[in-house]
Amino acid sequence: MKLVIDETRCKGCNLCTKVCPYKIFREGRKLNRKGIAVPELDRPERCTNCRLRNLYGRQLCGVCQLTCPDQAITWIDEEPYEPHKVAIEY
Amino acid sequence: MSYDDWFRKDRLPHIFCAGCGNGTIINCTLAAVDQMNWKKEDTIFVSGIGCSSRAPGYILTDSLHTTHGRAIAFATGVKMAKPDFNVVVFTGDGDMAAIGGNHFIHACRRNIDLTVVCMNNQIYGMTGGQGSPTTPRGCLSSTTPAGCNEAPFDLCDLAIAAGANYVSRWTSYHVKELEKAVKVGLETPGFSFIEVLVQCPTAFGRRNKFRQVMDHVEYLRSHSLLKAKRDRLLEKNQPVPEDMFVVGELMKRNRPALGVKP
Repeated sequence: MKLVIDETRCKGCNLCTKVCPYKIFREGRKLNRKGIAVPELDRPERCTNCRLRNLYGRQLCGVCQLTCPDQAITWIDEEPYEPHKVAIEY
Repeated sequence: MSYDDWFRKDRLPHIFCAGCGNGTIINCTLAAVDQMNWKKEDTIFVSGIGCSSRAPGYILTDSLHTTHGRAIAFATGVKMAKPDFNVVVFTGDGDMAAIGGNHFIHACRRNIDLTVVCMNNQIYGMTGGQGSPTTPRGCLSSTTPAGCNEAPFDLCDLAIAAGANYVSRWTSYHVKELEKAVKVGLETPGFSFIEVLVQCPTAFGRRNKFRQVMDHVEYLRSHSLLKAKRDRLLEKNQPVPEDMFVVGELMKRNRPALGVKP
């Protein structure tokens, strides 16, 4: 699974930057067409739901999606053979 | 995602201000409704007037956007006419506690099979930040520029005293707990009331030193006292902090209910 932020819905309130236990969301710097700084993703492959959703077959964590007041955060399936980054945490 | 199907995608993004917690509560409520396996045709969302009451407009079911304060009165009518329908009421503090207070306590007394989700932002957000019955002491609003000097309403105590079957209070920070509480409320026959304290950066936060959204959410998190902890403090005869509010499942009982699905 892949974490995506829908730029047409995000209003830039940055609530996701505070609730994510992995601190995946960072405050955005660049304004988009609507003048909103959409949060950036910092190594999203660390997200529990991205890694283990298909293995467990259920929603894991998902606090950012529930908290997002604008319904902008979703997970989508990856394309077949999409290059993966592997995050190793010590 | 599953509960995403309940949104009217053509109406999103919604009208709420950036950082408003009402969207969070809609998410949690819909996630709970989705777990109940209810059909969209058999579910009705009712609301009154206010910021919170715009919520059913973004949900893909039949909904009633009714007159100010009368959301619970209309929902009572729906439930009495068609007990097979599942009725969920979205309402706000100004809508339910101020103008619709009487409808609220009588719905609790009759114990009608409704689920009421009250988004309590402690101010009249839509009309420009006037003080509401739940504005805490000392808080500034456009009608209390020197600080509110009235005691606020405790809606959960009111619901318990009037006879609701399920009463709980959470904040917009506690999303998982809120989702579970709404689910228990939907399963409980009889009147279930879930009060959610929510941040309002535009009307409440601007006047009360919560200019950043996260400051207010952090305040809600740090000033919520779990019911279990409150009970422990009472057992040990220790003082309960004055400025904190109790969160958790405050009441669950089995009074005879009206309008339960046969």
